[in-house]
Amino acid sequence: MRSGSPLTFSFRLEPKPQTFWHVPHAVWFFAMGLGSALYLNRLLFGIELGQVLGLSLAHVLGLALVAVGGLILISDLGRPERFWRALMNPRHSWISVGAICDFLFLFLDSLYILPDLTLQGRQPLASFAWGDAWWSFVLHGIAAASAFIIIVYPGLVLSFSPSIPFWNTTLIPLQFLFFAFASALGMAVAFQAARGQAIPTTWLVGEALLLCVCLLLVVFHLINAYQVRGTARESARRLLRGQWAPHFLGGVFVAGLVLPLALVAVAANGDAVLMAAVSVGVLTQVGNFLSKFCVLKVGLYPPIF
Amino acid sequence: MVLDIDRCVGCYACTLACKVENNTPPGIWYAPVFEKEVGKYPNVKRLFIPALCNQCKDAPCMTACPTGAIYKREDGIVLVNEDKCCGTRACVAACPYGAMHFYEDEGGEYGEQLIPLDSLTREKYTSGTAQKCTFCTHRVDQGLQPACVETCPTECRIFGDLEDLDSAPSRLIRNRNGEQPRPEAGTDTSVWYVR
Repeated sequence: MRSGSPLTFSFRLEPKPQTFWHVPHAVWFFAMGLGSALYLNRLLFGIELGQVLGLSLAHVLGLALVAVGGLILISDLGRPERFWRALMNPRHSWISVGAICDFLFLFLDSLYILPDLTLQGRQPLASFAWGDAWWSFVLHGIAAASAFIIIVYPGLVLSFSPSIPFWNTTLIPLQFLFFAFASALGMAVAFQAARGQAIPTTWLVGEALLLCVCLLLVVFHLINAYQVRGTARESARRLLRGQWAPHFLGGVFVAGLVLPLALVAVAANGDAVLMAAVSVGVLTQVGNFLSKFCVLKVGLYPPIF
Repeated sequence: MVLDIDRCVGCYACTLACKVENNTPPGIWYAPVFEKEVGKYPNVKRLFIPALCNQCKDAPCMTACPTGAIYKREDGIVLVNEDKCCGTRACVAACPYGAMHFYEDEGGEYGEQLIPLDSLTREKYTSGTAQKCTFCTHRVDQGLQPACVETCPTECRIFGDLEDLDSAPSRLIRNRNGEQPRPEAGTDTSVWYVR
């Protein structure tokens, strides 16, 4: 007989780890956050990664990452053929809001970048360019708002639920937001160095600030969890001393935050810029992904009594 | 519903009655009985805490569901419309009581070799969707009590209308300082405990 039978298994009343959100969900959160942050960095601050077929690489990568995240979300559904139903409850469900924004973003940004597509020196779709008409600003605004929501909605899904105390805090969507921008800017720094171009000081300062904010948010989250007795404290304990401590302390704290901060300083000094910048690009992705993975893995349901 | 912890002897009759009544899929138990050891040696005792979906008035599963598949009847019973569920498991993650389940058809109660009960389960439930205790609406609508209530030998599960102040559960909650499970979750459950 299967485990879970009352004849062979005691339903012990103790904190139970959540078992439904795994690596695919962490990849979904990571990909969508990074993709949207790349788009917003390009749109708001003009931060470019380069060009491919006449298209902005930041836009192309952003679109691809959001699409990959969406595909992971759909493939993880119990009934993938009913994915469209996830658009039906935006008044209550953050997943529904996020799914609508995913589609809006993918649709609008595809429409925006395709006119720039250059094949053999020609732009076959150039006549569809948005130009400077008033409605293009409206559509840009909608796409930007969608991208912002795509970054934070997985965090809001987690934080709105009262079931898992470690997740039930505004610090989760804030971490998702700042980690996404830190890793997007980290990627831009790496691409800039790889193309042999000078890295603007503002980018390095911005990256250092974003990493500091991420560090503070992570520390606040842990302190907050330790102050709340019970399951949230146990979740924090598992991050610092339990099974997931190597991933969190080594992957998020050291490799994802402290080391990139040091490397940004190295790059700002003009020493080994290429190595430092590429390392920042890679390490910030590792830290961003593992921060989400670790938060999911230490989610614990308190006992009902 | 009111659950009287003092009366529960941990016989699991409710757990099995529910399983038989609802043909729930393998590994899914709508009416578990949890165990908890309390006190310090030599004054130790074991508590049995029966549980089920708490039919929350402010149900987090309903809020989390992106498809609107989870709905509440006029009598307050929260149900899943399997035809609308797309299987995000958001409700499973959102339920503070572990009362939401996800059914993935991975064989029967005894593995790959199916027994008649498994066939009934497959007819009744849609794989890849969320499942939960229905308070045995099919019985309640006929004026019967839920299977777990009907079968309890110690009458520790007391079913009735909490809106009616003279009903047995309402009186129990009033007279014995009933408490809701995990009140800090703010779900305002329709299931109360007395001890």
